[in-house]
Amino acid sequence: MTNTQEILTLQFGHYANFVGTHWWNLQETSFQYNSNTPSEINHDVLFREGHNSKGLVTFTPRLLLVDLKCSLKSLPTEGELYESLPDIAHYSGVNWDENKLDIRKEQKQHKNEFQQDIDNPKTLQQFSQKKYNLEDSTEVWSDYLYSRFHPRSVNIINEYQHCNKETPFDTFSLGTELWKTDFFQEDFVDKIRNYTEECDHFQGFHVLTDCTNGFAGLSSSCLEDIRDEYDRKSVLVFPTIPSFFPDNEYKTDREQVTSIMSDSTRVINLLLSFNNFKQHSNMFSPLCTSKDGWRQPGESRQFYHVNYNFKLPYHSSAILASALETITLKYRLKSNTFSTMDLYADLTANGRKAVATSICLPFSFNCDAYLIDCLDQWEGPLYQSLTPRCTIGTNRVMQHLTISGISESKIKKPYNFAGKQKDMPAYKYNSVKEMLEYYLACTTYATASHVTAVEKPLTVKPPYPDIFDKIIGSDGNVNMNPRSDNTIIESVPVLAGLHSGTELGEMLESLHSEARKLKIARFHQFTIERDEYEECLNDILTFKEEYEDSYLI
Amino acid sequence: MAISLLNPKAEVARAAQALAVNISGAKGIQDVMKSNLGPKGTMKMLVSGAGDIKITKDGNILLHEMQIQHPTASLIARASTAQDDMTGDGTTSTVLLIGELLKQGDIYIAEGLHPRILTDGFDKAKTKALEVLDKIKIAIEPNKENLTDVCRTSLRTKVHQKLADVLTDVCVEAVLALKSQDKPVDLHMIELMQMQHKTETDTTLVKGLVLDHGSRHPDMPKRLENCYILTCNVSLEYEKSEVNSGFFYKTAEERDKMVAAEREFIDQRVKKIIELKKKVCAGNNKSFVVINQKGIDPMSLDQLAKEGIIALRRAKRRNMERLALACGGVAMNSFDDLSESVLGYAGVVYEHVLGENKYTFVEDCKNPQSVTILMKGPNKHSLDQIKDSIRDGLRAINNALEDKAVIPGAGAFEVMANKELMQWKDTIKGKSRLGVIAYAEALLIIPKVLATNSGFDVQETIVKLQEESRINPEPIGLDLVSGEPINPKDAGIFDNYIVKKQIINSCSVIASNLLLVDEVMRAGMSSLKG
Repeated sequence: MTNTQEILTLQFGHYANFVGTHWWNLQETSFQYNSNTPSEINHDVLFREGHNSKGLVTFTPRLLLVDLKCSLKSLPTEGELYESLPDIAHYSGVNWDENKLDIRKEQKQHKNEFQQDIDNPKTLQQFSQKKYNLEDSTEVWSDYLYSRFHPRSVNIINEYQHCNKETPFDTFSLGTELWKTDFFQEDFVDKIRNYTEECDHFQGFHVLTDCTNGFAGLSSSCLEDIRDEYDRKSVLVFPTIPSFFPDNEYKTDREQVTSIMSDSTRVINLLLSFNNFKQHSNMFSPLCTSKDGWRQPGESRQFYHVNYNFKLPYHSSAILASALETITLKYRLKSNTFSTMDLYADLTANGRKAVATSICLPFSFNCDAYLIDCLDQWEGPLYQSLTPRCTIGTNRVMQHLTISGISESKIKKPYNFAGKQKDMPAYKYNSVKEMLEYYLACTTYATASHVTAVEKPLTVKPPYPDIFDKIIGSDGNVNMNPRSDNTIIESVPVLAGLHSGTELGEMLESLHSEARKLKIARFHQFTIERDEYEECLNDILTFKEEYEDSYLI
Repeated sequence: MAISLLNPKAEVARAAQALAVNISGAKGIQDVMKSNLGPKGTMKMLVSGAGDIKITKDGNILLHEMQIQHPTASLIARASTAQDDMTGDGTTSTVLLIGELLKQGDIYIAEGLHPRILTDGFDKAKTKALEVLDKIKIAIEPNKENLTDVCRTSLRTKVHQKLADVLTDVCVEAVLALKSQDKPVDLHMIELMQMQHKTETDTTLVKGLVLDHGSRHPDMPKRLENCYILTCNVSLEYEKSEVNSGFFYKTAEERDKMVAAEREFIDQRVKKIIELKKKVCAGNNKSFVVINQKGIDPMSLDQLAKEGIIALRRAKRRNMERLALACGGVAMNSFDDLSESVLGYAGVVYEHVLGENKYTFVEDCKNPQSVTILMKGPNKHSLDQIKDSIRDGLRAINNALEDKAVIPGAGAFEVMANKELMQWKDTIKGKSRLGVIAYAEALLIIPKVLATNSGFDVQETIVKLQEESRINPEPIGLDLVSGEPINPKDAGIFDNYIVKKQIINSCSVIASNLLLVDEVMRAGMSSLKG
């Protein structure tokens, strides 16, 4: 069937929105208009076409995102794509008496240089060739948002304020309570329905969610409702964990106490939400650029040729978004019939719904080298895990990988000039897919690997952060000479994967043992009984046992 | 004390200081809310930093929109919005009254009265005030006139008078359409649908249902008359159940075979609908509409379109119930026993397209037990404002129906209660009498603010009201146009009994609790180990 199987994306929480924003940016900056070669990617899977009140065609993400009050800064909730902002000065209506109107204006939010440039049709064309210091001017995700959203996409919670320490939205229970309000029960659920009603072959949901704060509870409740209403649709969840919490950098004793409390709260949120995802999703993969995830994010993971600041969500979320963009290509290509359901069938046998995500960013090699040499000389693991407390093994793993940006000509030398390459056993393979599968077969044991190769590399033009080594050239290859300061890296090759193996059991076990140490009764903010908590701990333990590997193969 | 010993780093404010914290919070929030009380209150337009607009006069909405940093203020805000959750009105009054009770109480506490004695007085006064409330309550017949009065009183405090009158008619008609004998009205059976065009006063009641989606097939009719309505919750879309593993390949033929088998299953369901349609519509001028809660894929739509059927997919869950009430018929969960008896009827079904959005009207129903209020407005924020006020208007009507009574508005209750409490205080022994006086004084905040907002001199107005009240046993309220005392009954100004009762109860409790606080602390956990 060639019909597009549409996916609706849901984003819950501020960090999830950071990741989501990069993801939409990555896709939209790679759009090619007026190109002669049709794109390999079917953008209709994640985007929708519509038209605004002026009859202009719009192409917007099929997306609903949720965030707290005051988290948007300069972005208007409804966006400006469908209707321009109301003009307060020339406003007339029958709503009030002229002399009985009290206007309360907040200070106008200043737009940063990047936002000003993309607002202006003159500078819009050149934005991707310009360097913006978004590291300094990014406070919230909307600061580097390139995509323009449909008016129904942005949903703001009025009950809680972003970064408000008096009434924080920090526990699972607050989220489940919030889900019961009319705003979600009626408006939000209706918006999901509006999106799915438009789809001819609706496939299911992508859910990106914070899982360390109240959004863990909100998204969990939402999943329960989705399961109820859309029972046969696919639900793929990516719980995200920031790589840095500002409260972990305490100075005073008092701050230390607060920080320890927050760490514990986060562990409970993680436990409760993972338990829910296990029940209500088809598959979930926790994402974090740091190694531990809990109780604190811990040491940040290092990637070859990448220097990123783990304290900046703008940086760490870009890496997570790159992985998401790459692995989801598998079921977003025009050429195949692969769907998310097929992915689950391969990866979640025996109820192993938690999987690990990995990335090799950038998958770069010398500009004059070939894939065959690169793989031959590769030392250490090919990819880095992005799932906390989980190193991806080479033993009894089910894995799906996607590689993008390696052209046919970069696989190996032509036969006549091949020289020593000809002697390598891999020389007989003619496609990226075959060669990588062969490499994986040689370097792993009792592992099933499925590779999808996409020619198009990952577009990393601004607003993507410049986190690459100087020796990476503008085409993503490793150059001999460092690139000049004003060179923009256009795109890089990238490899990313989803993996299911015994290592996920270790991740669950570590979460279980951290959560078990906490006495839930002390955390009065959680309206959860001790028995219920114990049951949840047991469920996670049972879940972990699914990964014990004495019977498979 | 114990906590601060265990945790010496807690921030503590004691006694007078603690009270000062609470009072400043209560005053602060009172000042913000004061100006929007009553029909002459100001409308507030909130403009966010990004340019988003919210226009409101409703205390509840305002409290939700405001960013409150003060802990006491946020406590009061939460209590007041809880009041709204229960009864749909009275938020602004709650905030004003709590603030005023604290202010009046503070005067006596500053003179050395113990807060406990003061709150004792509050408690006694509260019981007495509830007695007064019961005394002036007016039993009503649930007829159009009475319901219009109470609904109009509530709505005029929320939107402009012109709009309030339009909305009042719509709300009253909607509730009366649903009302049958003595059964309680389920307000969920009134659908609120927004349409962004025309102006606010074009808001109307549709005696039927308006759905926010239309058919998704170009060949389907846009309008049908004399329609049978089939309401169902059955999937009419092909959902593949075979998997297409990346590791184990199937041949193309194998795959096609699976698809065909699955497809056949859905086709059978579509055929059943078509069979029924042919049976009931043969030889007459009737037509057929399918409204499904689940999906319908293009192939199924195509088959239905060929038969001239309008088919809508992914209807709201609640609309299943509403459709059965509006058109009759039964919502089907399977097609095993389809017959004419499960079908509903509507005189006309037609589609209306507005930009990207489609609406389907199901109208001319025989005896609709479910109706739709179709809200119109030129932009999102005016539609939101209408929606909020309609919700409140419906609640006000429903409260009146449930109470089977109303009370005179325009500050009449407060003036009356003040008078009775002042007479009654002489019978109370001891210092708690002071609490009763403070309470009686505090009640007057409502007529006082009404006077201020209408531009009258506060002292003069209150004196006039009290004078009139002394010689006239009838309840006396304030005429906001002339500034003179009136009998609210004559002017048709009525409030909900339950709302006032809630206000008296919750304000007294919260104000007492805040007055009794003698220590405010901000502390973390006492021990480091979770």
